[in-house]
Amino acid sequence: MKTIKNDGSFYLNPYLGGVLLGVVLMLSFYLSGRGLGASGAVKNTVAATVNTVAPKHVENSAYYSQFAGGDKKPLNNWLIYEVLGVLAGALFSGILFNRLNFKVEHSPKITSRRRLIFALAGGLVFGFGSQLARGCTSGAALSGMAVLSLGGYITMVAIFGTAFVVAWILRKNWI
Amino acid sequence: MIGPLIQSGFIPQAWDNIIAVFLGAAFGFALESSGFSSSRKIIGTFFGYDFVVVKVFFTAAITASIGLLYLDYLGLVNFSLLYIQPTFMTSAIVGGIIMGIGFSMGGFCPGTSLCAAAIGRIDGMVFFGGMFIGVFLFSESFPFWEKMYYSGSQGPKMINDALGISAQLFTLFLVIVAVGMFYGAAWVQRKVKKVEY
Amino acid sequence: MQRKYTILSILLVVLALGLVILPKKTNKTETDPKVLLSALAEKSRFLTTDLVSKRIIENDPTLLLIDLRPADQFKAFALPGAINIQPESILSDSNSELLKQLGKDIVLYANSDLASEKAWLLCARYVNYSRLYIMKGGLNEWYNTIVMGTDVAATASSAEFDLVNFRKAARQYFTGAGQTTEKTATEKTPVKITVVRKAPKSSSGGGC
Repeated sequence: MKTIKNDGSFYLNPYLGGVLLGVVLMLSFYLSGRGLGASGAVKNTVAATVNTVAPKHVENSAYYSQFAGGDKKPLNNWLIYEVLGVLAGALFSGILFNRLNFKVEHSPKITSRRRLIFALAGGLVFGFGSQLARGCTSGAALSGMAVLSLGGYITMVAIFGTAFVVAWILRKNWI
Repeated sequence: MIGPLIQSGFIPQAWDNIIAVFLGAAFGFALESSGFSSSRKIIGTFFGYDFVVVKVFFTAAITASIGLLYLDYLGLVNFSLLYIQPTFMTSAIVGGIIMGIGFSMGGFCPGTSLCAAAIGRIDGMVFFGGMFIGVFLFSESFPFWEKMYYSGSQGPKMINDALGISAQLFTLFLVIVAVGMFYGAAWVQRKVKKVEY
Repeated sequence: MQRKYTILSILLVVLALGLVILPKKTNKTETDPKVLLSALAEKSRFLTTDLVSKRIIENDPTLLLIDLRPADQFKAFALPGAINIQPESILSDSNSELLKQLGKDIVLYANSDLASEKAWLLCARYVNYSRLYIMKGGLNEWYNTIVMGTDVAATASSAEFDLVNFRKAARQYFTGAGQTTEKTATEKTPVKITVVRKAPKSSSGGGC
């Protein structure tokens, strides 16, 4: 077996990574009966923040009141704990494979500033879409695909199909 | 031990959130170590220089599907207790399209941006911050989207029911398509000019 | 390198093929009598009329009420949101689809407990035990506790007072009667009825 260069460029074989991810996903269903996710935690955090600032507003909103307000505790939620775990797991992997450093990753042809503006806008758009579709790539698409949910497959096709087209429009940002 | 273990009461409810942390950690480790913390690696899928997303994503989906169906066959998991995302046709398509745009602009999806943020990528942190604004805007303008949000409801529908075949047969097709895609990806990657990142 | 992946691909396809080839499980497996008996002995399948009323008033989306009485009685009066299913047809395809709904607590009721008990046993194979309930005492009990109401002795504990106040408020909700000052009193002292819910709401997280 060849030795691993520990300069941050080592990644798992994608198929091994995929099987690992698949097993984790399966365990998640086997243990907790639900898939993995990320955007739900953002939703709950936003709802909790708004609830602290303006509880009346939460009561009146048809959206927030589904998961915040009253005696609901949006921060004491499975997804929040899971997302904290994700941070810890990624940090561990980053330390293990020596990838831990502060930087803005971008194509050499664009400035950091442009990259950050696009990252912010992308996050905004993604956050918005994830609420409309009731989940993001992990929660709706990946977890949905694992249990063969129709919605999961439709979301997956819509995400990747659109991303393909838009990536070509924005290709100057990437290559 | 019929799963899901929490719902069927084999593991006390109190453990649910603790298990969540460990599952999340494993999820984060799998994503980061496969290279999902790098936006340029992720976006490579769309330009054909790195197919790590397709490979990892589909391998994970078929592994989990096959695994769950075997568990179901062995009677180890009660499929009816699993959380199956309800299908809302319109919002799934429109939301997916919006997410696709965000994906190509930001180069991350929520889970991967978290991984990137965890190892110090500032673009990942900014992306994650942007999501809060997006979620906030959606929640505030919810009355405007409410009709679309609830339209096309089909309940927790399975794709194999929609196609009229068994779950097992669908998974077989999925595996064949995925394997075909892996070979296709390897072929394209050989043809495409290597991009340094 | 290529060879390794070929082997892996074949392995995956074979695993998936195995799923297709394996004989289908029959859906209606025989329920172990011991399991059924122990489930019957379990008293947590009963919900009190107060608890059911509270969940109706709160518009609890996880509540699915099933009325087992004859259709004419159902037409004359039923609890809000209840679905009328005859005990004979509770195992029909469309009805068992209804019972299999995810994330719902199914509460059966009739005039007394008798019909609900029978239906509970029949449904138990379709629905997870912990999500299938009977409204204790049926509509008779509901009428006695919620509609009639009882006065409470001055020496009663505060919990009893709360309960009576809740029932008065519930009565007002269901019948529109008894509009006095009690309502403000109940608002000041919120009724604490512990919700016994064994299964967590799987609908809670809402996806991603």
